[in-house]
Amino acid sequence: MSDVLISASGLTRYYESGELKVAALDGVDLLIERGAYVVLAGRSGSGKTTLLNMLGGLDRPDSGSLVIAGQNLLTMSSAGRARFRLCHLGFVFQAYNLIRVLSARENVAYVLQLQGVKKKQRFQLADQWLARVGLQGFENRRPDQMSGGQQQRVAVARALATEPDLVLADEPTANLDSHTGESLMDLMRKLNEERCTTFVIASHDPAVIASARTLITMQDGKIAPVETL
Amino acid sequence: MSFVPSGLPMDNLSIYLKLGWRNLCLHPLRTILTAAALGIGIAALTFLSAMDDGWMQQIKTNFALTMTGHIQIHAEGFEDSRKLAQRITDPQAVMKAISNISGIQTMTRRVRVSGLASSAGANAGAFIYGVEPEAEQRLSRLATFISKGVWLPAGDQRAAVLGDGLADRLGIGIGDKLVLMASVPGGDIASEVFRVRGLIHSGVMDVDDMSVIVPLTTAQQWLGIGQAVTDIVIRADSFERVTPLAGNLKTALVGQGMEVLRWFDIDPMAQQWADFADAYTWVVLLIVIIVVLAEVLNTMLMSMHERVREFGLMSALGVTPAQVFSMVVWETVILVLIGGFSGFMIGGGLSLWYGEYGIDLSQFAIAFSFMYMDPVIHPLLQADSVLRILGAALFGAIIAGLIPAWKASRLEPASALREL
Ligand SMILES: Nc1ncnc2c1ncn2[C@@H]1O[C@H](COP(=O)(O)OP(=O)(O)OP(=O)(O)O)[C@@H](O)[C@H]1O
Ligand SMILES: [Mg+2]
Repeated sequence: MSDVLISASGLTRYYESGELKVAALDGVDLLIERGAYVVLAGRSGSGKTTLLNMLGGLDRPDSGSLVIAGQNLLTMSSAGRARFRLCHLGFVFQAYNLIRVLSARENVAYVLQLQGVKKKQRFQLADQWLARVGLQGFENRRPDQMSGGQQQRVAVARALATEPDLVLADEPTANLDSHTGESLMDLMRKLNEERCTTFVIASHDPAVIASARTLITMQDGKIAPVETL
Repeated sequence: MSFVPSGLPMDNLSIYLKLGWRNLCLHPLRTILTAAALGIGIAALTFLSAMDDGWMQQIKTNFALTMTGHIQIHAEGFEDSRKLAQRITDPQAVMKAISNISGIQTMTRRVRVSGLASSAGANAGAFIYGVEPEAEQRLSRLATFISKGVWLPAGDQRAAVLGDGLADRLGIGIGDKLVLMASVPGGDIASEVFRVRGLIHSGVMDVDDMSVIVPLTTAQQWLGIGQAVTDIVIRADSFERVTPLAGNLKTALVGQGMEVLRWFDIDPMAQQWADFADAYTWVVLLIVIIVVLAEVLNTMLMSMHERVREFGLMSALGVTPAQVFSMVVWETVILVLIGGFSGFMIGGGLSLWYGEYGIDLSQFAIAFSFMYMDPVIHPLLQADSVLRILGAALFGAIIAGLIPAWKASRLEPASALREL
């Protein structure tokens, strides 16, 4: 497959901290194909989160262009971007991924409900996905009744339950011990292979970087040359 | 590929309610305190308003029925002229014409003139009423104010009942002679002799210091007006029916040269008190609503600030700003409904209970009867007052919800996600 999913060029984002104007992203060009498994590496402060937020339509660049799944994210309203995220994207953050008043099943079912899936079907799908990430029997647990790794798995289940084009994960293993982190990466890698879902994962965890099929390294808001492993 | 999001189906309401309820349950103490503040406010408002309504109702009823009656029919122009020239010459016919109209509890005839009352030693101006002794007792409260002696005895054509203040000024008591003088149609002055049978004390100055009440038939003869009367006085079935009844009477009597007046057309004082009390209730309502609103607003802002990251997360999941907005508004509405409903139940329950058994304030105010008040108040739950309170509470809640909701919906997802 050489179908382009993400095409970005000249993405630039400035942050002003006091008098200082920092370019968190400094002219990033990016082309990611459907089905890719990309890891964004780079030191702390290199702009990984900023780029990921850009790709997720959570933040707007000061200049540049960004087209995902054939849609121009930069001309959309914030409601339009929210709907785009609902239909096309899944997110896994470093921590506190879940709505804390909802159970594991309800967290997964919530996004399905936003998509208009009927109650019975969304609970079925939620349970299936929880089982697939190894959380059978945890459906009724609230986030504060689960370990960090389990919560991250629920987040992965939720990100994939809507069958998105693209899953964006920001430091998904940072709060996990290395063993739990590795099994989470195995899971994501497996889902990428089985379902051809595109993953872009920002991390400086060596285990994550090791799992990359495409590694992009960031430095001072810029991308170092792409190397395919 | 993905499903098409179907706008905001009814199904989504359940998630708003679920999220709202559970978020409120996350901080049970805060929620209970806020709801309790709200509940106490609403309970107090409901009860005070019911008390006020009951009280005002009582004052208006007492006021209307002390003398005036609910509705009076006169010959056209009598209310302004107060002259016997404007009289109802055939009251029987008028009463027959309206006898089929529903809502009339009872009616009676009166002759009303102003004149001079004289005793052996003194004179005083007086309002003289010729009344039907029997029927009058069913209509007005006059007979209940007898403080000495008796009400006009049946068959005693020379009997007079007068206000105790007037009796003092004339220096007379029960059994004494009283001469009444008034000008009759045509311009002559006629006088008639009566004997005092009873004194009344109503607490109303006009009645106690000015009124003389005599039998209708004697008054008609004395004044030389045959069967004519000046007023046909009507008591309605209920206080609420006065205005519609007056409308029906007007329609029935159209073209007959009559005027139909409601008690507050004749003397607007009590109605003005009531309107004033009503305005005052609005002010109290406004203050309570502002306090409640501030309380709810504070709680919701606090709760929102704790959840900035969660709103960012929801936004990332694809929740639109409008949906975030609704969610916070719904949460506020739930909070207010819990507090408001329990408060309303408490306030309404107390109102119903005391409406039945009354609140006895006699030990606090002896001067009450002076203001047409009874010492026992019966709170009255009136639909419009209740709706006003609930409406204002809900309105306040929504206003209090709009601010945090607006803030939550305007959060930048990227920066919201960096919180915590
Ligand atoms: N809201 C903000 N206000 C000011 N500066 C910001 C803001 N967000 C990011 N930056 C700056 O932008 C640069 C890139 O930040 P970013 O969070 O993208 O880095 P990162 O690669 O994700 O780092 P980390 O590995 O620590 O998560 C940093 O210099 C950071 O200080
Ligand atoms: Mg980061």
